Amino acid sequence: MALDRKIAYINLTTGEIETKPIPISIRKKFLGGRGLDMYLMYNHIKPGIDPLGPDNVAFVSAGVLVGTLASATARTHIAGKSPLTGFVGSANMGGFFAPEMRWAGFDHLVIKGKAEKPVYLWIRNGEIEIRDAENIWGKTVTETQEIIREELDDRDIKILTIGPAGEKLVRFANVMTEIKNAGGRSGMGALLGSKNLKAIAVRGTMDLKIERPAEALEYNKRVITQVISAKVSQTQGRLGTPFIWGATNSWGGIRTRNFQANQFEYCDDIEPESIDEHAIGMAGCFGCQVHCRAKYIIPDGPYKGVYDEGPEYTAQGALTAEPGCKNLVNLLVGNHLLNMYGLDILETGSLIAWAMELYEKGILSDKDTDGLELRFGNDEALIEMIHRIARREGLGDILAEGGLRAAEKIGKGSIKYLIHVKGMSNLHSDERPTPALALGIATGSRGSDHLRSRPAIDLYGLPEPVLRRIYSQPVAYDGPISSHWRDYEGKPWEVRWQELCYEAVDCLGICKYHTIFLGPNFPNFEEWSRLLYYNTGLEMSPLDIWNVADRAYTMERLFNIREGLTRKDDWLVDRYFDEPTTRGVPAACGVTIDREKFAKMIDEYYEHHGWDENGVPHPETLKKLDIDKEPSHML
Amino acid sequence: MEQEKTSATTAEITAKGRTTGAVRCMNCMERIRPPLGAKTFKCPHCSFEWRISWPLPKFPRIRGPVWDVNRRLTEEAMSKKGKGKK
Amino acid sequence: MAKVLMIDYEKCTGCRLCELVCSVKHEGVSNPARSRIKIVKWEMEGRYVPMSCQQCESAPCMAVCPVKAISRDEEMGRVDIDYDVCIGCRMCVAICPFGAMSFDTLAQKVIKCDFCDGDPLCVKFCEVGAIQYVDASMVSTVKQVAAAEKFTSIMQKVAAAISTV
Ligand code: SF4
Ligand code: SF4
Ligand code: SF4
Ligand SMILES: [Zn+2]
Repeated sequence: MALDRKIAYINLTTGEIETKPIPISIRKKFLGGRGLDMYLMYNHIKPGIDPLGPDNVAFVSAGVLVGTLASATARTHIAGKSPLTGFVGSANMGGFFAPEMRWAGFDHLVIKGKAEKPVYLWIRNGEIEIRDAENIWGKTVTETQEIIREELDDRDIKILTIGPAGEKLVRFANVMTEIKNAGGRSGMGALLGSKNLKAIAVRGTMDLKIERPAEALEYNKRVITQVISAKVSQTQGRLGTPFIWGATNSWGGIRTRNFQANQFEYCDDIEPESIDEHAIGMAGCFGCQVHCRAKYIIPDGPYKGVYDEGPEYTAQGALTAEPGCKNLVNLLVGNHLLNMYGLDILETGSLIAWAMELYEKGILSDKDTDGLELRFGNDEALIEMIHRIARREGLGDILAEGGLRAAEKIGKGSIKYLIHVKGMSNLHSDERPTPALALGIATGSRGSDHLRSRPAIDLYGLPEPVLRRIYSQPVAYDGPISSHWRDYEGKPWEVRWQELCYEAVDCLGICKYHTIFLGPNFPNFEEWSRLLYYNTGLEMSPLDIWNVADRAYTMERLFNIREGLTRKDDWLVDRYFDEPTTRGVPAACGVTIDREKFAKMIDEYYEHHGWDENGVPHPETLKKLDIDKEPSHML
Repeated sequence: MEQEKTSATTAEITAKGRTTGAVRCMNCMERIRPPLGAKTFKCPHCSFEWRISWPLPKFPRIRGPVWDVNRRLTEEAMSKKGKGKK
Repeated sequence: MAKVLMIDYEKCTGCRLCELVCSVKHEGVSNPARSRIKIVKWEMEGRYVPMSCQQCESAPCMAVCPVKAISRDEEMGRVDIDYDVCIGCRMCVAICPFGAMSFDTLAQKVIKCDFCDGDPLCVKFCEVGAIQYVDASMVSTVKQVAAAEKFTSIMQKVAAAISTV
């Protein structure tokens, strides 16, 4: 059955490899993917270790529904202690790697130690081999994959790899697969780089048994209909994720010129409709009928004719509004370079925009930039900085260390302008008008992030009864709920609910666009309970799945606390409270986040979790979730 | 278990309230229906003016504000708020 | 009127859901190696081509089969394998120009598309319409000469790619 996939422990220092089955009792507690990774992480990583040293452990996994009939079961999860934040490192990517890894017999890889020289892993139908990677060290993301496929003589091999940025230990380097599928955020690419592990190649032809094939087929069809009948899915299937821009930039939620405005005005050239003029079609991840990945060919300039994919909404903001650039070709080129280097687009664009503000304020001089005119709107400077960060040259070398370390090095009050939480940069979204979204980024376990808990549907002004119906299952909720995105009331519960919703999809291996993220009518706990039953035979109620997510999220909290996290890390930078917005629809302009009300939101959020006022889980909470004896070293 | 597995889920039920051919005004959140193929549309409820695009036939979406109108309304709102504060 | 699977590779998003449903339907497992349809990819160019049995009019697999296990069902427009007769010699696998006949190493038998006996599942799940089940006569009217030419060259590339596997 789909639950017979194994866990492999690979020690790169000694070359030892051990495989084990995953007991069903652990499955029921953590399912797989991110959930089980968090258990493993808490059990295998010793407190206080250097994230770039050999004691850090890298985890690669597939969600428990990956490869099965559950509408888009493509996700790979990568975890470890983050080289960027020092807290939970966790990245998630689509594509075809995770299903192939399951067909090759594995659900979880635990990678320890450090190889003496560059290596890659070759995993095929239950066998794991550590191979020499000297010839691919230094190669780009796509080159690496092509060379490995040629070397192993199989064009269907799926490969997870780091680019040159990961080798250079840029603290926000990605793990990548195919052209642009990225396990971004928190620097998992640097983690692999620190282990001298360039890539993991997988190929499998082993059956993944579907427990009730006829019902699984029928129900999957129903879920697909549910997903693709949504307007957002159809729009996204046409324009890709940049479609979100239409709404966010219209009301004033786009972080512009680092943090100097909340709307990018007169930017028609980089709107999704303009990007779409260069798209040549759409692609999908495994099993997905939304197909949100745009394929494009760079129309002009030195990279004319080059094929790439995206740019995603994230790239769109990080390479336009944040640095104040309005050049479409530049956006496409920047996206291409970041994909080749294997860099976190969001983090890179954010840090460059921050440096631009420092340059504008005179904190960074021409001497610091080696003569580069690092002003907002300078397209060439943006591209040049991408190269410098990836290659760790000059100012790029400083930024490659991440915002907090860079601010310490640069000094002169530069920290004041950095937009981050826990040392991780924020998306190009401006949360000053939206307390719910602000709470989400402040509390996210991997730092400022929109994929941890963002209640995006909060922006839709949905009627209260609809919100209540969504947010009061699978656990009852009868506290306050409010339709307006300017409100503070009831939002902590929305954040808490979305947090567990996203944790659950990450345990299952399903894409977030197939759950309640951008639309209110998407599959969630109820549907997953059925999908689990038909595909794997696991009988878990919606509430059981909620509890798995709660357990996993609490493990993340425990890990962070063990690494020194306190309540003050669940907070925003001062600019959110002190600088009012200046743009957008009337309700969104001239506003800030209110410190007192925000602190109350945090209290309420902790309460919903069963954590004390410092954000530490109560002993009863741990007991209830059956994780009061961790680390238990069961796996 | 079977009964429970075939009935409509909460999300399937909420989906029944969907509309087509309309979008929500980004300012007042009311549903607006731009005429087929329209490039711009002024919200009849709040008079914000939007640029409209049609990603699929009969499928309007707000591309962005009409910038000049947006700037005027934003600045009006800002100066009002400024007064309110003082 | 016999129907055929009409493939429009330009619509294909490369999601491989067709491979998944085909293997689940026929074998009860998720395993593309046992699917009757295969997406051949040029990942770095973003080109994906669905390949399945063409149910050839004068089928090479039928001609090469030493025990006459393969026959044509004119009514269904389908090339069938009689597993009671088949000796598993894999001559058909070797000769099929499209790599559409494959050998299932787990079940130890040759496999190919059977149109799901008239209700092709891949067609049902492919929402973008890259695979359609249409009257044979439709195909020629739908496909313009230019498109057909392009398709032929793609098919040759596909065949070449498959033969190198
Ligand atoms: S289901 Fe359709 S779009 Fe997806 S791979 Fe198959 S033919 Fe292509
Ligand atoms: S298996 Fe190959 S040769 Fe035989 S009918 Fe199908 S496409 Fe033609
Ligand atoms: S028609 Fe049926 S047997 Fe043929 S490829 Fe499609 S799903 Fe497989
Ligand atoms: Zn309005």
